[in-house]
Amino acid sequence: MKKVSWFCIWALLSLGSALAQQERFRKSPPIPDPLPRLELPKIESMRLMNGLTLAVASRPDQPFISLELVILAGESQSPKRLPGLASFTAEMLSRGTPLVSASTLEERIDAIGGDFSTTTTPDFSRFSLHFLDGFLDQALEMLSLMVLQPDFSDREIVALKRTQFYDLRQRQRDPEFVGRRQLLRVLFKEHPYRQSFYSEDVIKNLTRKDVQAFYELYYRPNNALIVLAGNLDLAIAARRVSHFLNIWPKKDMERPLLPSPQANAEDRFCFVDLPQAKEATLVIGNLIFPLAEPDYFPLAVLNQVLGGTPFSRLFMNLREAREYAYSAFSRLELFRSCGYYAITAAVIPSASSASIREILRELDRITRDKVSNFELEQAKSYLIGHFPLRIGRLDELGRSISELLAFSLGDAMWSRFNDNITLVDADRIFEVAQRYLLRKPVVVIVGDKDVLLDYLRDLDRLEVYDLKGVLLYTLIKGVEG
Amino acid sequence: MPKTYVGMWLSLFFLAGLGTSAAQEEPGFPFSWSRFTLNNGLEVILSEDDTLPLVSVVLAYQAGSIYEQPGKTGLAFLLENMMFMGSLNVGPMQHIGYVSRVGGEPNASTTEDITYFYQTVPANQLALVLWLESDRMKSLEIDPANAERAKQSLLDEISQRKAAEPYLDSLLAFDQLLYPDFAHGHSILGREEDILGLEVEDVRAFYATYYVPNNTALVVVGNIDLARTRELVEKYFETIPPGRKAPLFLPPRPPDKREVVQAFQDSLAPSSAFHLGFRIAAPYSRDYYVLAILDYLLFKGKSARLYRKLVKKEGLALYIAGGIEKRKDVAVMKIFAVNNNQTMVELCQKSIASEFSKLRTSDVSSEELAKAKSLFKRDYVNRIATPLERAMFLAEMVFSPVGLNALPDQLPKYMRITPYEVRMAAGRYLIPESSVILNVKMK
Repeated sequence: MKKVSWFCIWALLSLGSALAQQERFRKSPPIPDPLPRLELPKIESMRLMNGLTLAVASRPDQPFISLELVILAGESQSPKRLPGLASFTAEMLSRGTPLVSASTLEERIDAIGGDFSTTTTPDFSRFSLHFLDGFLDQALEMLSLMVLQPDFSDREIVALKRTQFYDLRQRQRDPEFVGRRQLLRVLFKEHPYRQSFYSEDVIKNLTRKDVQAFYELYYRPNNALIVLAGNLDLAIAARRVSHFLNIWPKKDMERPLLPSPQANAEDRFCFVDLPQAKEATLVIGNLIFPLAEPDYFPLAVLNQVLGGTPFSRLFMNLREAREYAYSAFSRLELFRSCGYYAITAAVIPSASSASIREILRELDRITRDKVSNFELEQAKSYLIGHFPLRIGRLDELGRSISELLAFSLGDAMWSRFNDNITLVDADRIFEVAQRYLLRKPVVVIVGDKDVLLDYLRDLDRLEVYDLKGVLLYTLIKGVEG
Repeated sequence: MPKTYVGMWLSLFFLAGLGTSAAQEEPGFPFSWSRFTLNNGLEVILSEDDTLPLVSVVLAYQAGSIYEQPGKTGLAFLLENMMFMGSLNVGPMQHIGYVSRVGGEPNASTTEDITYFYQTVPANQLALVLWLESDRMKSLEIDPANAERAKQSLLDEISQRKAAEPYLDSLLAFDQLLYPDFAHGHSILGREEDILGLEVEDVRAFYATYYVPNNTALVVVGNIDLARTRELVEKYFETIPPGRKAPLFLPPRPPDKREVVQAFQDSLAPSSAFHLGFRIAAPYSRDYYVLAILDYLLFKGKSARLYRKLVKKEGLALYIAGGIEKRKDVAVMKIFAVNNNQTMVELCQKSIASEFSKLRTSDVSSEELAKAKSLFKRDYVNRIATPLERAMFLAEMVFSPVGLNALPDQLPKYMRITPYEVRMAAGRYLIPESSVILNVKMK
């Protein structure tokens, strides 16, 4: 049939519809079918003899296994004089043991079709190993080598310092990274979370002794959890994990909840110079509440209305209506003892001041007027529809479960997530807007000072910082004061 | 019955026997699919996956840059952007709006041979996506204002990318040397002077030729009911008229076997660098499978042979990356290395030549080959891990020379490669006479 010209056949036989109008069903979007029920994988967990928490999500159809090891110590546990220590220690774990070199570990990871990465947040350090099904023992053996016998050799420490230094330098070319880091430095001031937002120069201060001490203190099974997802069950997982990690000795330790810092309440405008940046990047935000608060759900819906998508208020106003911005979004990020919201916009330099005013106006508007039913339903529909997309991949599923367990979030953020979003109404959104958004946010502007400062002269007070977060000077109505 | 429906009913009645259908159930392959062809030539592939209440829809048009004519480059990418600028019943950017509002993720990408439009949405929104996709396939709004906006956006993107990616210009020049003809060798981005000269009629002609059902595959993967999905696909797509048969795409004449060495001055290059390429066996030919595994042995993973040797051991390169690239019916192996200076460039090239000489004369160890295969398998099965990845994979394979029927045997073919085959393929292709070198010098 393929050899016949489709066009000729169609032309011949479609004479009857030559003058046809379009079919009626094309004129408007169809009504959706009922949504199939979301069946989340069951999470089974247990505690091993040495206090290590083990959780398994069985996905028999998967050709991979995803392994997440979480150490419940993050950058907020780094000593005040040594920011970056938690991240450095985590990276050092894959850099060899006294008997197995870093190169050999890399080869072994490749041999099981593995992907290995580490992540350090203010609250925890996570090791992710994603590998082909059938290699569970090899993966656990490698993990046990890293966790139980890290070498922390001077040679590898020097090499990692160089890598991290240049990586951080590279990241500092991203204005959004710079702006967010400055915002969080200001918001977290003296709080231990401030340790997470360091510059590349602090890496040189770290020593082998510091790394060893951090490891000895926090890398304990009773301060850790493992999540496995894939073609296995809890019984198999418990046997294999115990086999490789039962000699990991536990040690009594406390994990006190850090106090929540106070949200910002006064006008703060901060500028960070990024020479040759073509745009002005605005990062505006304030502290909210820690994880596991019921206010999360109305605030998540509010965030969607305000700036969660290209059809939210900020994008439609700053980009579509006023043409000030290339992009404008808002987000929530929650940690164990505190969270924050941030609005990020990349705007044309000449519209910096006007963009700041518009963002503040949108924040004010959402605290004064209740959101419309249309916006409310659209935002809820997005959050409910998008939830399964966040756990579609096995590694994403493993990561989500590890966070649920690390923060003891329970079912509210898992099987009851959609119900909790469904229950949000305009009154609840109004209530949380009043509670969290009335306080004045911190405004950070990142860009080329030779271009931007002229456009920011109307600000009463502008603090100018360097990339390390050091206050250089303050401008009063554009004049150094 | 209104005239519209009489005509359509007659057409459908006569054509009902022309559509073809096939179901595929392969033992040992991780998923099954069914395939049928609509009367207008649209290839449809459906695959069930009820893990999550999601569905992914991919429209794959054989409308990549390879089909552009000299002087008209950039059209394929331009059309990709214009597909979001509105159609008869869907306003500008509303496609993204409809999909995003229900929690979905819309996207598109242009390659050298295929332009993909894809989205994942909650499974109950399948009809919405089919409505959206069929509207822009049937009645895209192409007017001079839209075309001008799309041209400007493309020119902005080219200028931004050229400013941000220091070795981009040299890479584009390298492709023209390495690939055998204009169709394969020119960039998806297009030449700025060509884009400026594009007329709205050029855009309309490209759309009318390539954005037609008989040049396209529709793939739906996810939590679907096959019968209901087929019904919806037929409802939205069956009455879209087919286009004329796309112009015949002739395979290129094989290039002369001779080494090419040239230099390129790059004002943005922060360091000396070079591109090295080899013209290799055609995609899915016997040697292609061998070279695909060799790609993983040389370039992929943290313990890849060339990275270990040139960056970690000998310190001759600051950075090295490489791999096989295929553009429809032509494949090449590319290497890009950044070095401290020109002396390092020369030493690095000599070191690669010596490594390739070893590959031609002695077998790789079975351990190293097994490692390369594990990494290959990881990436291969990753490509079918989620409904969207599976749909993209099926869309690519349906237009490949081997087609969907050969799919179950593909991975085993790669896994059967032996050290002897690697040595033989290296001897046939990784040789100076098949190579092209472009040395990048700082201005």
